[in-house]
Amino acid sequence: MAEQNHSNYYQLSVTVECAHLRVGTSFLKPNPYVEILVDERNSRKTEVVKCTYQPKWNEEFTLLVTPYSFLHFRLLNHSTFRKDSVVGDKRLSLYEVLVHFDGKCEHLELTMDLISEKHDGRVKVGELIALLHGMKVENIMHLPPLAQTELQNTIGPVAAASIDQHSPSTDTRSGLNTGVRARSRPPDAAVIVNNASTNAVISQGAIAAPQTAPHGTAAASGALAATACANGAASGAGAVNGTAPGDGRSGANAAAGGSGTIVQEEPLPAGWEMRYDVYGRRYYVDHNSRSTSWERPQALPKGWEMRRDPRGRIYYVDHNTRTTTWQRPNTERLQHFQHWQGERQHVVREGNQRFLYPPSAQGGAVAATTSEEEESLGPLPSGWEKRVQPDGRVYFVNHKNRTTQWEDPRTQGQEVGSDEPPLPPGWEIRLTEEGVRYFVDHNTRTTTFQDPRPGAPKGPKGVYGVPRAYERSFRWKLSQFRYLCQSNVLPSHIKITVTRQTLFEDSYHQVMRLPAYELRRRLYIIFRGEEGLDYGGVSREWFFLLSHEVLNPMYCLFEYANKNNYSLQINPASYVNPDHLLYFKFIGRFIAMALYHGRFIYSGFTMPFYKRMLNKKLTMKDIESIDPEFYNSLVWIRDNNIDDCGLEMYFSVDFEVLGQVIHHELKDLGDKIRVDETNKEEYLRLMTEWRMTRGIEDQTKAFLDGFNEVVPLEWLKYFDERELELMLCGMQEVDVDDWQRNTIYRHYTRNSKQVAWFWQFVRQTDSEKRARLLQFVTGTCRVPVGGFAELMGSNGPQRFCIEKVGKETWLPRSHTCFNRLDLPPYKSYDQLVEKLNYAIEETEGFGQE
Amino acid sequence: MAASRRIQKELNDIKTAGIKSFRDVTVAEGNLLSWTGVIVPENPPFNKGAFRIEITFPAEYPFKPPKISFKTKIYHPNIDEKGQVCLPIISAENWKPATKTEQVIQALIQLVNDPEPDHPLRADLAEEFTKDKRKFFKNAEDYTKKFGEKRPAD
Repeated sequence: MAEQNHSNYYQLSVTVECAHLRVGTSFLKPNPYVEILVDERNSRKTEVVKCTYQPKWNEEFTLLVTPYSFLHFRLLNHSTFRKDSVVGDKRLSLYEVLVHFDGKCEHLELTMDLISEKHDGRVKVGELIALLHGMKVENIMHLPPLAQTELQNTIGPVAAASIDQHSPSTDTRSGLNTGVRARSRPPDAAVIVNNASTNAVISQGAIAAPQTAPHGTAAASGALAATACANGAASGAGAVNGTAPGDGRSGANAAAGGSGTIVQEEPLPAGWEMRYDVYGRRYYVDHNSRSTSWERPQALPKGWEMRRDPRGRIYYVDHNTRTTTWQRPNTERLQHFQHWQGERQHVVREGNQRFLYPPSAQGGAVAATTSEEEESLGPLPSGWEKRVQPDGRVYFVNHKNRTTQWEDPRTQGQEVGSDEPPLPPGWEIRLTEEGVRYFVDHNTRTTTFQDPRPGAPKGPKGVYGVPRAYERSFRWKLSQFRYLCQSNVLPSHIKITVTRQTLFEDSYHQVMRLPAYELRRRLYIIFRGEEGLDYGGVSREWFFLLSHEVLNPMYCLFEYANKNNYSLQINPASYVNPDHLLYFKFIGRFIAMALYHGRFIYSGFTMPFYKRMLNKKLTMKDIESIDPEFYNSLVWIRDNNIDDCGLEMYFSVDFEVLGQVIHHELKDLGDKIRVDETNKEEYLRLMTEWRMTRGIEDQTKAFLDGFNEVVPLEWLKYFDERELELMLCGMQEVDVDDWQRNTIYRHYTRNSKQVAWFWQFVRQTDSEKRARLLQFVTGTCRVPVGGFAELMGSNGPQRFCIEKVGKETWLPRSHTCFNRLDLPPYKSYDQLVEKLNYAIEETEGFGQE
Repeated sequence: MAASRRIQKELNDIKTAGIKSFRDVTVAEGNLLSWTGVIVPENPPFNKGAFRIEITFPAEYPFKPPKISFKTKIYHPNIDEKGQVCLPIISAENWKPATKTEQVIQALIQLVNDPEPDHPLRADLAEEFTKDKRKFFKNAEDYTKKFGEKRPAD
């Protein structure tokens, strides 16, 4: 936008208060929420209010706007099963509002007609009430209006006569922006509204306090009741809703809020008291600071904290700006502050364009690069927020499920690239498809995992700059994960009471009835009619039984990968169950609970499914384990010249589910684009993507949503898919005798020394390594119920096989389809152990075939 | 449909090629994925009749092979009582997206003409075929005359 160059950014506080919707024809009441877009960007959303035509939100948003911005209010109906639909919307020209009110947008209440564009024309579907505040533009009249004729047109005739009958005398209602009525709220009323809303924000803020305990910092003051009050916060915030005395709608408003408490005025902050002087005038005593004031104290705004200095004096810390002041912040001061912030944006931008030395030589450049780095990371995942502790340490809040952590969720479990010395000339860092870093030496045209820089630790470096060999230790990762679980634990426990006969339904209703974060409390499972006290044993049983139940392919929610692979994946036909998405959400929650509480489930998922949970890119190779026929065809197309084969393939594809053929174009007009040698790579990529997601996208999303409510998916990023399976299914004590008895050999014999060494290694190593070795060769860490004799390959029963392949310099490789380990003829036991360990730990995913 | 252009082309090719041993190709009404045709073997003992087969293409064709089944009863070591046939060219391991239906049919005709008793679906017939060829021929000819379809005139 060109005009951005001429105009500054301002902060504008918008409080979406409530809406009155026309009762529709549908027998279901809507679940409304409001989305605000500034110039059709930077979408902000309120919470969803369930089942009502009179939703109340009282949510405040601070928006960055220019005087020319258009605010687009969209009221949507949230639907569990379908895409959310727009009930009505309104576009507001801020410029006109500002012009009308002399450049001031302060305590301005707007009542906007929500319009729906239906086939039968524009229909008013209700009204939305919002409060604009905190923006002041000097000399608005001198700002040139935009050369947009549209804008002129919107200055319509005065809107329908003032509807509100009980407008106070100060009403300055007037028509602007057709269908928008504005008035200035009496300041005292506004103060209280503001008060209420800031208060609500504060109680939400409490959720986010980080868990400082592990570091023993005393800075936990703000964090104190962190998790404890987290639950109360939501309902509390609701109860505090912005009922403004003198606002005609107060009666209706007060009914809002979960707890139903009608709050006329905010309770005073701790240590304050209201008194009357001899003339009957109210004043306020602050026992904390032993001072009095005529002004009613407000709760501290978001990011502010009251502290005492060593001499007992009260001061106020603003964590937003990392400043302190003796003065208690009030509305006016905050207003100045907000305005200042608006200015600051501009100053910072100006400042960024000046320099004295080349930026790299500057100390300040560090900040610049980090912010650049920040940008390259993209926005935080939705629901996440970055905050700063009083001591300046950054932490991250996940509002979706009310957890906090130190690590940036965007880089969690990833390589850290900053503050590394430069590579030697001709070298380059690349990532494998699995996201493992390797180094390309363009001088010699070779690649290596070994960092070529002098002083680099042996082995590739990982997330924390520690050598990957250490970091990759499953135990270490697990302890990181457990730490996150423990630092977000909630007090007390939840009871889940189930009957064995109706285990699925009972569990479903109880797990879904609770807010997701409650599922992080200690579990107390009761099987009706049984006496067992749940000190862990009962819930272990519950996880096992219930997982067996919900994953049962009979329910059609999950299916076996194919006739020889008993791992489970989402069944595309699950849509026949009208409630399937709710079930998937439930199962997502349940699986997350298993991980969170460190319990195991009965049977595992396919490797591609775990990869999807980890948000890893799925490759062609991943198809092999779930659809070998399809995979072979893809490979054939990749490896052969297809131009003269008469394949007659186009960028479109079909698949059949429940007898219905579903057609899909891999790209726009795919039906018309023929696949040939030049574009087959793209075709294979799109086919792979489609094959792995066809028919299960909504289900996967529901599952992941449910999961993420209990455990943020970012927490899984330490792990790879195999480790995830280990975590979820647990390791089994492997019967090595049975394993050895049911192993066959090719080009080795039972008595070859490498074979003897192999079994020596298997017997001597720990059970984790054994499970990993088994997983490396067979694709899963689980042994069939009937033992190794029943091991399955992709073409039916296939015993564990060790084949002599290659030279002693090679690494062992595996063929999971055939349960085969290619073991080169190593010269010594130590060499075998070293190579085998390396293959299992380091080359997962690509050392195999 | 994604596979239809390929299948339509193959159908036209087969019709224009006019394979002597495979006649009467018809497509099920409104469903290009289902064909029928008649196998007309040249070798004894199956040259006393003709055999109707059904070819079914999966929606994912040519990523997945077509399936073939016999609608006419046949006394053959490689074709079972239900009409299922074990044809290596369309097995999961051997299938290539470039394999043409015409090749599949040629392979099938060859299998019918020259049974492979080493990879049987009906072990009893395979044993008879290897141990007592004359008896097998007699039984197969009777069976063909009894259940087989009429051979085309030309």
